[in-house]
Amino acid sequence: MSYDREKIESLVHTPKGVFCPHIDFCKYRFVYYGFSGLLLGIALIATIFFGITLDILFTGGTIATYSYTGTISEADFQSAVEEVTGYDAEVTGSEDLMTGAENFTVNFPSDVAMDVEEQTAMNEALQERFPDNNIESVSVNAVSPTMGLDFLLKCLVAVAFAAVIMVIYIALRFRKIGGWSAGVFAMLALVHDLCMVYATFAIFRMPLDDNFVAILLVILGYSVNDTIVIYDRIRENERLYGSKLTPSELVNLSINQSFTRAIHTNVTTIGSMIIVCVMAAVNGVDSIVTFTLPLIVGLLSGSYSTICLCGPSWVLWKEHRAKKAMRKAKA
Amino acid sequence: MKRVPRPVFFIISIFIVILTLLSLFGFKTTYGDKETVYIKGGNDIRWGIDIRGGVDVTFTPPEGVEATEAQMDAAKEVINSRLVSLNITDSEVYVDYSHYRIIVRFPWKEGETDFDPQAAIEELGDTAVLTFREGKETDDTGAPSGVTAENIIIDGEDVSEAYPYYDQENNTYGVSLTLNESGRQAFADATTRLAQENGVISIWLDNEMISYPSVNSAITDGRCSITGNFTAEEATSLANKINSGALPFNLIAENYSTINPTLGLGARDVMIMAGAIAFVLICIYMLIFFRLPGVVAVFALMGQVAVSIAAISGFFGFVPSFTLTLPGIAGVILGIGMGVDANVITFTRIKEEVCGGKSIDGAISLGYERAFSAILDGNLTTIIVAIILMGSFGPTDSFFGKLLSPLFFVFGASTAGTIYSFGYTLLVGCILNFVFGVTASRLMLKSLSRFKCLRKPYLYGGVKQK
Repeated sequence: MSYDREKIESLVHTPKGVFCPHIDFCKYRFVYYGFSGLLLGIALIATIFFGITLDILFTGGTIATYSYTGTISEADFQSAVEEVTGYDAEVTGSEDLMTGAENFTVNFPSDVAMDVEEQTAMNEALQERFPDNNIESVSVNAVSPTMGLDFLLKCLVAVAFAAVIMVIYIALRFRKIGGWSAGVFAMLALVHDLCMVYATFAIFRMPLDDNFVAILLVILGYSVNDTIVIYDRIRENERLYGSKLTPSELVNLSINQSFTRAIHTNVTTIGSMIIVCVMAAVNGVDSIVTFTLPLIVGLLSGSYSTICLCGPSWVLWKEHRAKKAMRKAKA
Repeated sequence: MKRVPRPVFFIISIFIVILTLLSLFGFKTTYGDKETVYIKGGNDIRWGIDIRGGVDVTFTPPEGVEATEAQMDAAKEVINSRLVSLNITDSEVYVDYSHYRIIVRFPWKEGETDFDPQAAIEELGDTAVLTFREGKETDDTGAPSGVTAENIIIDGEDVSEAYPYYDQENNTYGVSLTLNESGRQAFADATTRLAQENGVISIWLDNEMISYPSVNSAITDGRCSITGNFTAEEATSLANKINSGALPFNLIAENYSTINPTLGLGARDVMIMAGAIAFVLICIYMLIFFRLPGVVAVFALMGQVAVSIAAISGFFGFVPSFTLTLPGIAGVILGIGMGVDANVITFTRIKEEVCGGKSIDGAISLGYERAFSAILDGNLTTIIVAIILMGSFGPTDSFFGKLLSPLFFVFGASTAGTIYSFGYTLLVGCILNFVFGVTASRLMLKSLSRFKCLRKPYLYGGVKQK
C-alpha cells in the first residue's frame, strides 16, 4: 500500500498547466481519523455537559417574544409573567439589532402549550402591568407535545429514507467499481458530516429546530454530490488503467485529478455562504446566522470527508477484501 | 460532429438577459387605476409568513372526538369562509384526515398595524352558527333584517347532515338535507305555510346567506332536497357549509405561531443583498479562473437565477406565486452553488484536454461529455433529497405528498411549511442545472469557439503560447 508517484506519472501523463498535487491521501488516514474523532469527542462532551436543547417544535411548549420600550428588569418581567399565567417561566432579554427594539423572550416548560385565550389574557395583563412600556407581542409559538414528537420522528424518517435511497442509487450507478461498498462508504462519510453539523449545534449550544433538519438535508445532497464527483473519476480511471493500478493508487490519482474542481467549487459555494453568514451577523439577523453557520461547517466537512475519509477508508476495505481472497486462494 | 452556428451565443445570451430583466422587474401595463400583470417580477413573489409575518395555526377537535371525513371537510369550509370574512384572501388551508388536523397559514394583512392574531385565531376556530330563516330580507350590509331577522325556523342543532347528490333523471346536482327530531316539527309547520305562499327559506352561516331555496311543498318527514342550477362543486360546497354549522364540536388551536412582520422583512433584505454580492463575486471568480468559459458561465448562472425567480413568482400573470420562505432562499443559493459546480467540473475538464494538446473543438466536446456523468449523478441524488423533502413536509394533497404518503402516514401533515419551500427551490435549481449548466452552456461555448479570434488555447485555460 503506497503511492508511487513516479509510476503514476509515467502511466498517466499530466499535461503542463494542469494542477495535480500528487498527495498521498491514504498514507495519512490515521491522522484524519484522529482529527475527526477528536471533533466528535468534543461534541459528545459538549452534549454531556451542556445538554442539547430541542426546540419547542420537537418537544412542545410555548415561547412568546415581547417588545418593550423604557427599562424593565428581567426579574420583574418574569415574576409578572408567572403571576399572570400561573406557570413557571424563563425570561431572557435581548436587543433586536435590526430594529433596535428591546425584547423579552418568555419560555414556558414543554408541557405548557398555551391556548389562545390564555395567550390573549397574558398579553392584556402584561400591558396593564407595565402601562408605560409599550409592551407588544412580537411572536408566539405554541406546540403541543404530541405534535412535536411526531414532527421529530418524521424528520428522522425523512433523513433516513433519503440516505437509503442514495445508497441504492450509488450502488446501481457505480456497479463497476464495487457498487454497494461504494454506496456504504459514501454513506459513512455522510454520517460523519451530519455528526459535524450536530457538533456545531452542540458546541454553540443552539437548540435543534427545523433549521437543523433543513441543514441535514442540504448536507445530505452536497456531501454525496462531492463523493460522486470523485467516484465518477475513479470509475473513469478504472476503465482507462484498471489492472495497472492498485486500489490505493487508483483512488489517490482520482482524488488528485479532481482536486482543482474541489477547490473551485468549495471556494465559491462556501465563500457565498460565508458572505451571507457575515452579512446576517453584521445586521443581527440571528435566524440566518444560526442557519448558515452550521451549514458552512457541514459544507467544509463534506469536502473534507470525501477526500480524506471516504476514499482512503474505501481503499482500506478493498485491500482487506483482496488479502482475504488471497488467503482463501492459498488455502 | 455537428457544428453550432456562430449566432447561437448571441441568441441565447440575449434571451437570458431579457429573461433576467423580465423575471426581476416583470411586465405590467396600467390603464387608469387598472393594472394588468402580464409577467410577474421579483416583487410579486409571495413571501412566507416567516418573512412577512403572519399566523400558522393547527386546529383540531377537542380531545377524544373522532371526527368523520365529512365533518373535517365541513370544518375546513368554516375556516375558509371565516378567512374570507376577515378579509384574508391569501391563505393556505390543509386537512389531515387521519390525525383530525387542519393547518391554516395566513400572512399579516398588508398595511395592517394593529392586527390581533389571537383574536383572529379564536374567531377561526369557533363553531359557525347555522340558521334557516323565513324570507330573504337583508339590510345594506347583507345582514338579515325584517321578518328574516325575526323568524328563525331552525338552527344548526336541528340539522343532522347534508350531502350532495346527482339527479340522473334531470341531470342536475342537488343537496340532500336530513333534520333531527328536534327540528322536524318547526320545519314542517314553516314549510306547510310557506309552500302555500310560494315563499323562500334562506340558509345563513353566521351573517352570510349561503342559499335561499323557495319552498315547493310541505316537508313533514325531516328530509328534503335543495335543487337549483348547481354544479357538482357548488352542491358539495353548500353541503359542506350546512354541515359546518351542524358541527358538534369547536376547533381548538393545538399549535400556533404568530410572527410580527418586522422580524422577517429585514432578514429578507439582508439575504437578497448578500445573495447579490455573492453572485457578483462568483462571476468575477469564474472570469478570472476560467477566462472564456467563465463568460459563458456568467450567462448560464444568470439564466439559472432568472428562471429560479420565475419559478417562484409564477412568471405569467395568471400563475399563482409559490410561497418563498427563508430556507427557500437558502435552497435557491444551494441550487446556484450546484450550478457553479457543474460549470467548474466541465471547465476544468476542458482545461485538462486543452493542456493535453487536444484541438479546441475536441477539447470542448470531450470536456462536456466527460463531465456529464458526474453532473448527472450529483444532481439526481440532490433531486431525490428535494423530492423527499417536498413529500414529507408539503401539503398532504400535493403530488409528492401522495407519493410518499405510505411512508409518512403515521405522522400526519406537518407544520413546517418552510422546509417544503426549500425542497421546491432546490428541485427547480437542480433541474435548471441540466438546462443552463449543461445544455445552454455547451451551445454557447461551442458557438463562441467558431470565432477565429476566440480559438486561442489560452482562453480555455491552456498555457500561454509565446
